[in-house]
Amino acid sequence: MKKKVLLVPLDPVHDIGLKLIKKGLQEVGHSTILLPPDLSQEEIISKIIESQVDTVLISRTLGYGVAEVLGRFIDLADAAGLRDNVRFALGGMAITPKLAAELGFDAGFGPETTIEEAIAFVEGREYLPDQKRSLKVKRDITSKYDYKYKNNRIKKLLDEITDQILDWTADKTSPGVKRAHIREEIFKSKNDKDKAELKKQYAALCDSSVKNHYLKGDLHNKTRLLTFEEIRAFDEYINKLKKKMILKTIQKTEENPIVFIQYGTGCPFMDIAHIKLAEAWGADGVIHFDPSWGARTEGFYEGFLTHEEDGSVITTENLFKIKDCIDENVLWQVRAHRGVNTPETVVIAGNAGADLTKINIAYGSLGGGTDPARLTVDAVEAIKFAAKYKMPFDVVTNEELSGVPAYKAFAGMLIVTNLALRLGAKPILQPLFCYSPEVILGGQMADNYIDFNSAKIYGLREIINAPIWPGAPIGFLTHTEDRIQSSLTTALHAALASSLKVDAISISSSDEAFSGGPITGASRIDTLRATQEIFRFFGHAEITPTIKAREWADELVECIEDVLIKVADKGDFVQSLYDGLLGNKEEGAYPGRAGKNTIIKI
Amino acid sequence: MQDVFSRVLDAIDIETYLICESEDECKEIIYGILNKMGLKDVSIVFIEHNGPGARVRARGYIHKPGDTYGWLEINRRADGQ
Repeated sequence: MKKKVLLVPLDPVHDIGLKLIKKGLQEVGHSTILLPPDLSQEEIISKIIESQVDTVLISRTLGYGVAEVLGRFIDLADAAGLRDNVRFALGGMAITPKLAAELGFDAGFGPETTIEEAIAFVEGREYLPDQKRSLKVKRDITSKYDYKYKNNRIKKLLDEITDQILDWTADKTSPGVKRAHIREEIFKSKNDKDKAELKKQYAALCDSSVKNHYLKGDLHNKTRLLTFEEIRAFDEYINKLKKKMILKTIQKTEENPIVFIQYGTGCPFMDIAHIKLAEAWGADGVIHFDPSWGARTEGFYEGFLTHEEDGSVITTENLFKIKDCIDENVLWQVRAHRGVNTPETVVIAGNAGADLTKINIAYGSLGGGTDPARLTVDAVEAIKFAAKYKMPFDVVTNEELSGVPAYKAFAGMLIVTNLALRLGAKPILQPLFCYSPEVILGGQMADNYIDFNSAKIYGLREIINAPIWPGAPIGFLTHTEDRIQSSLTTALHAALASSLKVDAISISSSDEAFSGGPITGASRIDTLRATQEIFRFFGHAEITPTIKAREWADELVECIEDVLIKVADKGDFVQSLYDGLLGNKEEGAYPGRAGKNTIIKI
Repeated sequence: MQDVFSRVLDAIDIETYLICESEDECKEIIYGILNKMGLKDVSIVFIEHNGPGARVRARGYIHKPGDTYGWLEINRRADGQ
């Protein structure tokens, strides 16, 4: 049955909400009357009586003294005998259903109200939200790329270097590689006796601290086992929470990149709490950060371990628990890139159901602290595991943060990318969007943060058709401790990333520059909201870099090629790392020492 | 304690994330926190509930325009007036 609706803007200025609802009501056949905004309450009551409407929708922003005005309006409606036949609803900023009910209205609608919701009220039926509003689907950011090279000179050089790496590693293994294979066997084994035997073999390949964990139950001094009671209480909490989770979407257009947040508070339970709130505020993916000592220690501990400092310890139990709590439509990345447990991390992540991992020999050995030779052997195996478990991985260029120029970091990234393609894996390019030492000294960002970051994307696209996921996090070294500045710089870098049509971004919280304690949940929401808002602001509009972006992109490609020529000429990729061809000591890159002299000849 | 609050120009904002079932529950909790801090003239500036809880910014006014400003009193005392 069609209804007659009176729309009343009590707000002196804003009646756009009512105009939208009027349009929606008319489209489905209801008749509407929109009153002008300057009528007195008594005049409005007279209009309701005269027009014999079924429903009155009032728009009013809540402010000083407004509740009294609205309460009086309802009293007048009562006195006029209208309440039996006419339904009254209130909508506007700061209006909630509860507040409207307290004031005597039949319904209340806040600023997020949809036209559908208002129509449902007018028609006297229950509002069933459009399920599409909360629909989030995992996106494979590699699927639309063929990885074809556009620069054949660079492809030829990369193929030569890939041959060097595969030849050099062909007769080598390491304790890390062996542990990874034992870990696979442990996962496959159904027999406790076999498992115990495998764990003995595993412990023999670990550092003494981890060995003592398996033999005597010792733990790292900054960790403790979560108790049975804590685990039970957490499981109850999560099971309850899962039932009411609705995932938000940050993107405004199909061209906006998917958004990852990084977690690693130290405690898997706090991590999961952060993951759930990030999901609720629209994060598309989450990235596991482990502690730096974990990357330098041979072997993994066991059990539900919490850590009192930054970085959440990788154990099979921790990762499986985290995975169990992540929404099935949210991507999960476990970083394996920089340590002596790289292949085993990929194995555990793969078995736990991770979607993505992270591997880079150049960064891990020049900025991450692992011996170049060891990481080369381990990374080749890790990449094979990534291919086996169908986990694409990003090739991060964090060595730029130590001072390595972008072109050298990119040369290393492309070497690992080509190696991955040869081994059947799906690499993702991860240039940094950062205010790096190179640009601070060189002045490329003296005027703006747009051109040099854009040059990186343009340059990489001149070389290969591959997915790009700037990180990590975007805007690195542009954040301050102020939450507004921090959220804004994240959002602006997100807008740039979107304008450049990259596939994904990693964003920080607004605590990025704060080093005095753990990141808070509220700070995570700050940057998710800011990113959502900037996507809304720009829509399909774009940021236009200056001419410098193209010039710098061409320079980058030339310099990358020069570096690759030197590495190819050297004939030994590992020695090139030691010799600084992909970043030297003056630039802040130091070949790592973790795992040095541990390579085993087969 | 009063002297400490008197240095506040106008208000103290508490920004946090509360694990709760609804905005109403969040309000109850945050008002409890403000009350425990001894803040009387309180408002919720912003609240949004999704999934596990609510992002909230709550405010306790110390000095509203037209009040007798504590920070002026302290300034006068410091000048020996």
